[in-house]
Amino acid sequence: MLPIIVLFSFVYLLLLSASLFLFIFFRRLAIAGREKKDQRVYEGMEEDLLEVLTAPDPRRAAFAFALKHKARPRVLKRILVAYREALAGRALEPLKVIFERTFRWKCLHELKSPWLATRLQNVRLFVDFSRPEEAVHLVRLLHDKPVVRLAALNALTGIASRETLSYIFDLFESDPEPNLYAYSNIFFSLGQRTEPFIRASLGKPLPPEKLGLLVEMGGRLLLRGLYPDIAGFARHADKELRIRTARALGWLHIPSSVKVLTALAADPAWEVQTQAVRSLGSLQDWKTLPLLAKALFSPHWHVRYNAGYGLAAFGLVGILQLQEISRQGEDRFAADMATMVLDTVIITGGA
Amino acid sequence: MTDLLRFLDNAAGNLILVYFLLINTFYFLFNVLSLAGILRYRRMVTFVRFGEIFRMPIVKPVSVIVPTYNEELGVIESVRSLLSLRYPVFEVIVVNDGSTDATLAKLIEAFDLRPSKSVFRKSLETKPVRGIYRSAVQPKLIVVDKVNGKKADAMNAGLNISRYPLFCAVDGDSVLEKDALLKVVRPFLEDPVRTIGAGGIIRLSNGCDIREGQVVRIGIPRNWIARFQILEYLRAFLGGRLGMSMIRSTLIISGAFGIFRKDIAMACGGYRAASITEDLDLCLRMQKHMHEQKKPYRIHFIPDPICWTEAPESLRVLARQRSRWHRGLVETLVRYRRMFLNPRYGVAGMFAMPFYAVFEMAGPFIECLGYALFASHVVLGRVNYPFAVMFFFVAVFYGTFISLLAILLEELSEHRYPRPRDILTLTAAGVVENLFYRQYLAVVRLWAFLEYLRGKNEWGSMEKRGFAKVGQVP
Repeated sequence: MLPIIVLFSFVYLLLLSASLFLFIFFRRLAIAGREKKDQRVYEGMEEDLLEVLTAPDPRRAAFAFALKHKARPRVLKRILVAYREALAGRALEPLKVIFERTFRWKCLHELKSPWLATRLQNVRLFVDFSRPEEAVHLVRLLHDKPVVRLAALNALTGIASRETLSYIFDLFESDPEPNLYAYSNIFFSLGQRTEPFIRASLGKPLPPEKLGLLVEMGGRLLLRGLYPDIAGFARHADKELRIRTARALGWLHIPSSVKVLTALAADPAWEVQTQAVRSLGSLQDWKTLPLLAKALFSPHWHVRYNAGYGLAAFGLVGILQLQEISRQGEDRFAADMATMVLDTVIITGGA
Repeated sequence: MTDLLRFLDNAAGNLILVYFLLINTFYFLFNVLSLAGILRYRRMVTFVRFGEIFRMPIVKPVSVIVPTYNEELGVIESVRSLLSLRYPVFEVIVVNDGSTDATLAKLIEAFDLRPSKSVFRKSLETKPVRGIYRSAVQPKLIVVDKVNGKKADAMNAGLNISRYPLFCAVDGDSVLEKDALLKVVRPFLEDPVRTIGAGGIIRLSNGCDIREGQVVRIGIPRNWIARFQILEYLRAFLGGRLGMSMIRSTLIISGAFGIFRKDIAMACGGYRAASITEDLDLCLRMQKHMHEQKKPYRIHFIPDPICWTEAPESLRVLARQRSRWHRGLVETLVRYRRMFLNPRYGVAGMFAMPFYAVFEMAGPFIECLGYALFASHVVLGRVNYPFAVMFFFVAVFYGTFISLLAILLEELSEHRYPRPRDILTLTAAGVVENLFYRQYLAVVRLWAFLEYLRGKNEWGSMEKRGFAKVGQVP
């Protein structure tokens, strides 16, 4: 029995291997042929597209282009995506017209596909060629799987109106598993328009990680009007939130924040002290020089590091202070840190 | 006595048969999973503009750490390739692990390095650092010169100096493609909380031309040992690791190119300095840590960020490399035996570790037992030759079939070998490797196991030829 099984296995595997080899080989030849043909079509299409872009009436020319080439969707999609990368502003209008005339309907249909990859592909295609009034199609995807949600959010950022901003913040507040990294990029891209929304969200009982992100955004986007809201978190029980508050205050550059930051520099958590010292350094208030010099003797490496660079930011006075600390022999760690900062400052200055 | 011998003989024969069927079935299933994974990945990244990371206002910076030991032939190309990576914010930390050749001198000359008085936080214990250098022409480059302490120790020194929340481990003899970092970092952007590690595919640079730190022509080497290894790498990465990653049982991210979250690596105590397969060790330790903290995590394998590395072209050097890998595997599996078949450690403990233990660690024993059994039957005149020949061909064609599946995966993923002739060459290598190469490696791995039992814990030197430049015959 065994020899017969082995014999059949042998014949079966031989045939399987041979057919797989032939499949790979002929597939390669077919793909090479198709690529050559696509390239020829692409070159022809590119010539036509350049004519569309330079035509006196690009909209009408785009209609004609779409009609002529819609039978070759693979190459057409490729050229649209490639030119989307190269063009911006009003020059994109003909591409949008071509997209509307050729792929829009299919794209919208496939945004509802049960296949994640299909939805994702189409969101990305839609991002490039959609118009602000079409945001409603993307809003529906804000409750999809995280990766689609992220793509839809990114798309909305590109066509943001007051309404879409409110969708984005509602989603952020209710998102059970927020990708904070992605949200910070989205808020940052939206810029200072977010101020009223951030203020409203800061007043809500959100989890500390969400509040922390909003606080940090307030700082990064230089929303000085949010200073009272942000400073209020300096006494929050959550350490991470206090760190972010210290960071945001450093960015906001508001003189009255020195008091808050000085208090944070004495926080029981060294991570908060580190950030507070860094922010104090960036504020460059002369009254904080002794505090920074003292922080250079902290037992924590990160506090010393930030204090060193904080002092260097003061210019000559800070450098003289650093030189003095580098020469003292009582605390080798403080001296080493001061030496390193001086070394770096001198190299950078020289460059 | 004769009955007992006959019983043992039959039992051994059946064991070999079952092992043969099981291992090939697993490999086949992994290939099928990989096929699904590659097709899905291709669809998922359609219309993705990896360059958009450049436009992101807030990016995750990466510290690229490159441990080097006697890499004078390839280190400059390798560092150049790293410095030319497309990524918004990164630093390259080259750790010269007490090289006895001109590695440091070449780096100093090529990048105009100057001694720096940098102070760093010694979070991980390492051998003494002799000096830190910064480049006057490449602000992203930092070179650390330290006393030799093996690769894991050098990685720890790099981790101490690194500043960024993600670190990427790259071998000193490897070349990364320009977009490799952009592609491999993507899981950390999409799922920043759960993703703790990601790895890309390693390809062999033998037979390729390299210019300015980038592969400019891809080809198949003339050396058959390197050809066999090309297939092995395709099978291992595209067939095996991608398949295992699909069922969330990635046990290893290659030390030649892998990216990790620094906070998790530090929480595990960094690399274990005594380990000779530090990549497997760290990956297992991070998984163990996450399970013990009851935190969900993901380790991704991504099929298209490519790292090119040089493979040995002589059997002697190959044997040394494989011996180290096998000893490292055995040592790591033994060290983390508590995870073995322990439901607390999820798929890693219940499937990945047993799989590696049975098919990778114990595999050479069973293979060599088969060869020994066959030899004894020849001596005793008990061989059923038609059956033996048939079985041999079944084994060869099963192996060839799996290799062809790996070639198909390569065609579907990156399609890097440009000429149809390359497919023919790789297929031929897939047939020929069954005649001597596989048996040789089985013996090497068996020997490595015995060396492990004898307590050998050396790296063994690897002779480098350096990358082939344009116009130079590799």
